[in-house]
Amino acid sequence: MKKNKYILLLSLFVLAYVQQAAAQEKEVVKEMVRLKYYNDSNRVQYLLIESLLRKGNNVAPQQNKAYELYLDSKDNSSLIAKVVTDEAGRAKSFLPPSLKDAWDAGAQHTFIAVEPGEEDAKTELEVAKAKISIDTTSDEGTRSITVEVQKYESGKWLPAPEVELKVGIQRLGAVLSAGEEETYTTDSSGTVTVEFKKDSLPGDEKGNIVLAAKAEDNDQFGNLLITKTVPWGEKVKPDDSFFHQRALWATKFHTPIWLLFMAYSIVIGVWATIIYLIFQIIKIKKTGQSVS
Amino acid sequence: MTTINIADTTPVPAEQIAKDLLPQKFGRRGMIWTSVLILLFLTGIIAYFRQLRQGLVVTSMRDYVSWGIYISNFVFFVAISLVGSLITAVFRLANVKWATPLTRIAEIIAVSAIVFAALIIIVDMGRPERMLNLFIYGRIQSPIMWDVIVISTYFVISLLLLYLPLLPDLRILINSKAPQWLKRLYRFQGSFWKGTAEQFKISERSITILCIAIIPVAFSIHTVTSWLFATTYRPGWDSTNFGAYFISGAFLVGSGAVVVAMYVFRKYYHLEKYITEMHFEKMGRVVVLLCLLYLYFNINEYMVPAFKMKKPEEAHLGGLFTGEFAPMFWFAIVVGMIIPIIILLFKKGRKPLPMFITGIMIVVGAWFKRYLIVTPTLLHPFLPMSDVPAAYRHYFPSWEEWAITIGSLAGALLVMTFFVRIYPIIPIQETISESHEEE
Amino acid sequence: MENKKTSRREFLAATILASAGMAGCDGENSPFTPETEVALTGEKVKLLSVKGEVIEVDRAFLKPVPDLPRLTNSEERKGIPGKKFVMVIDLARCKNLKKCQQACNHMHYLHPGQSWIKVHSMQDGEHTAPYWQPTTCMHCDEPPCVKVCPVDATFKRQDGIVAIDSNRCIGCRFCMAACPYSTRVFNWETPALPEEVAKQHYSIETSVPQKRGTVGKCDFCPDMVRKGELPHCVSACPNGVFMFGDMNEDTVTNGADTFRFSELIKDKAGYRLMEDLGTKPSVYYLPPVNRNFPFESGLENQNLNDHDHH
Repeated sequence: MKKNKYILLLSLFVLAYVQQAAAQEKEVVKEMVRLKYYNDSNRVQYLLIESLLRKGNNVAPQQNKAYELYLDSKDNSSLIAKVVTDEAGRAKSFLPPSLKDAWDAGAQHTFIAVEPGEEDAKTELEVAKAKISIDTTSDEGTRSITVEVQKYESGKWLPAPEVELKVGIQRLGAVLSAGEEETYTTDSSGTVTVEFKKDSLPGDEKGNIVLAAKAEDNDQFGNLLITKTVPWGEKVKPDDSFFHQRALWATKFHTPIWLLFMAYSIVIGVWATIIYLIFQIIKIKKTGQSVS
Repeated sequence: MTTINIADTTPVPAEQIAKDLLPQKFGRRGMIWTSVLILLFLTGIIAYFRQLRQGLVVTSMRDYVSWGIYISNFVFFVAISLVGSLITAVFRLANVKWATPLTRIAEIIAVSAIVFAALIIIVDMGRPERMLNLFIYGRIQSPIMWDVIVISTYFVISLLLLYLPLLPDLRILINSKAPQWLKRLYRFQGSFWKGTAEQFKISERSITILCIAIIPVAFSIHTVTSWLFATTYRPGWDSTNFGAYFISGAFLVGSGAVVVAMYVFRKYYHLEKYITEMHFEKMGRVVVLLCLLYLYFNINEYMVPAFKMKKPEEAHLGGLFTGEFAPMFWFAIVVGMIIPIIILLFKKGRKPLPMFITGIMIVVGAWFKRYLIVTPTLLHPFLPMSDVPAAYRHYFPSWEEWAITIGSLAGALLVMTFFVRIYPIIPIQETISESHEEE
Repeated sequence: MENKKTSRREFLAATILASAGMAGCDGENSPFTPETEVALTGEKVKLLSVKGEVIEVDRAFLKPVPDLPRLTNSEERKGIPGKKFVMVIDLARCKNLKKCQQACNHMHYLHPGQSWIKVHSMQDGEHTAPYWQPTTCMHCDEPPCVKVCPVDATFKRQDGIVAIDSNRCIGCRFCMAACPYSTRVFNWETPALPEEVAKQHYSIETSVPQKRGTVGKCDFCPDMVRKGELPHCVSACPNGVFMFGDMNEDTVTNGADTFRFSELIKDKAGYRLMEDLGTKPSVYYLPPVNRNFPFESGLENQNLNDHDHH
């Protein structure tokens, strides 16, 4: 039984090795470029381009890669920006004021990324104009958050149904859902209401937390985000007493007293003896000199 | 021939004693010996320059075995330096008179070893040029700081213990037929010594104070050195036994070194009248006691974890007892302890030549023992060794490491060699006064 | 170009940017506390808003991520006030893909062959199930490595991070011997770095550039956190193994899923490595139960050197 297991394990290794060797031979290199559109609080909008290179099993960002970004069509008048990617293979661009007319002209736009000198688009992204709003109600101990998404169509703002949203509390790098579900979807009125169920969640010193609603990589609208600060959290006073204690792992300015006492008393005791002895040598020297 | 002791020999006149014990020029063999040492030392320097240029990558140390023979050699040096406190201080306070001719041998071994212990630590540093950071940013919480403090203290005390008893001899040296440049050195160091009763009184008192002070400091240096290991969690190091274990081992290797030095100086400088068979006989008894003591601590150190065989200890102890380190481990135990015990238990074993051979066995065994304390532990971390190049899983020192280590050992021997060229290795004044007392 | 320092709060009030603003390139809210300062270039750039209005922002925010001012050494040593970082590693999700390791090595320009993140093939007992265990630095609250450092070159910050100052490290490697998790690596030779990286000023928060003769290790990427982003390993893992967050917010996230830290640890019986040593790590593990992948699926990715050391 045990032997069989080893044979199985061994054959797995061999298989893995062969596969790896085969993968190395082929080593398909594939470029992956993605455009993302961000709308922050219905105000600031920007584009993010991410450029990755897949080599076999390994995906690495492409640094210092230049791209030209266009709005709707690839001609000079609709150039958004020329960007170069950073070490994470990403570059960000805002929309310049020169594109105001083009932006106002339609409800739907296409962003195009092109490598300099190339004809064909590396990637494209279609985005429809949208806005998002957040509102809170609080009665009889029940707190709820209402988020509304609207899209711009034929000159009017209309409700946007079927938009998947994260509704919750803004945390480091993420939104912690306010209710039970991970995500919520807007109904035919373009709204979603979420009951706030995260009791005793730590907030800041005043008990404030930041509510956030966001759509992530939505097919129509890209990334939407809206936030609102409410006093629904626990008041938490930052406690850095841990950091300021005297401990063996603390800095030299926070050495434990007992250690300082021990170290210094030993060092002073021994070195006082040494200094005394050096004075004795000097004394020997003096008596010797007085003899002659 | 029956046992010889000082009482059997006819009293030697003071002038004869001075003549016998004054430092002598190197003979042909002395020149060859010194040149070989200089050559080895320079090879070490060259290797160190390579290391400075390219970084510690020239060594075979890697992320798992991050301490190698530099550190085990450091522990060896610290260990051997402890003998200064034993022969000089402990014997003196215990009023052991026969050890007087051996005190200076022990002290110079202590001083040269502690100097090279400090140097080898600098060699082991990745950024030796930042050494001053230890004084600018030093944290007393770190056992390394304790080691820095205690080693520098021990160095100063050992130096004083070497210097004070040398003062009366310096007077004899100034009046001897030494070359001018040496005389200038002697005068600089001791022209103020007139041998007055008061000077002797102060000196005697100071030496007694030194002898008392050096014992706790000596215990500290080796205990603190053992704590560099014992304050970590690693199998093989995480032991409350470590301080005592290190100190007993240190006394053993230091005494072994003194025996070897006794034999060499006696033979080369014809000191048979001063380092007698009685001295070997008595040192033999001391060494066998220390051997037994160290063997006891070894049993303690390996027996207890082996009885329990905790999982992390299992791999470590397995490697030592029956695994890749077994030959070296049993060599260190058998050649470094058990065979010396057997030899020294017999009276014939305590004659100069067998003692000399035993001394070498003890010292060599002790060097490898230090290696076994440092490296095998690092090869058995708590989590498996993963995602590292194959070379990170093993350790065998590179030629640069060997060259630097051998160079440091040669350097320590060079310091001793030059010392005996300049100063009498057996205290002249004390020997004279003791021979008068016997009359 | 003169750098004006404005407090974040004033800055937010003064500019027309919404508070959710531009701090993170993926539009996350800023993790900054009001004390944190942001240097602005003072140079305004006009841009187009969602509604087609022309608005002004500071040039500093046109970069992919805002160019934050270089922190002083003492600021980097103190850490981000009010934070206490924590990581949760879900062993049920790991199949030894090592994307975490690749991203970490890439972003920290680690010397080839060395990694700060290691994925161990573990099997606790003869009949127990094998599993893959990624390890980062544990950022212990009783860090044995920090205890033994003679020069404060490695230290504990108030945000819980154990960091390294490569400009101070003397290369004694005592910390490496002291760490029971073997998380520390040493720059035995001059690290192979692109020239422009090697020239950079060393930052405690990015741990870049690594320097010869000094120790390096996982730093929990506080530079990313300051930008409102997650550490590289967290965002690189396609299976969401790593969850990162702030203990003071009681939240951890892998980017896709976000949990209350206390509930997650309670529900899934989270634990820490070598609890008996008393090191109090900041990294928690969720046991490998109800796994997403069989153990064997990770074997193909195992380091060839590790095969005989199962």
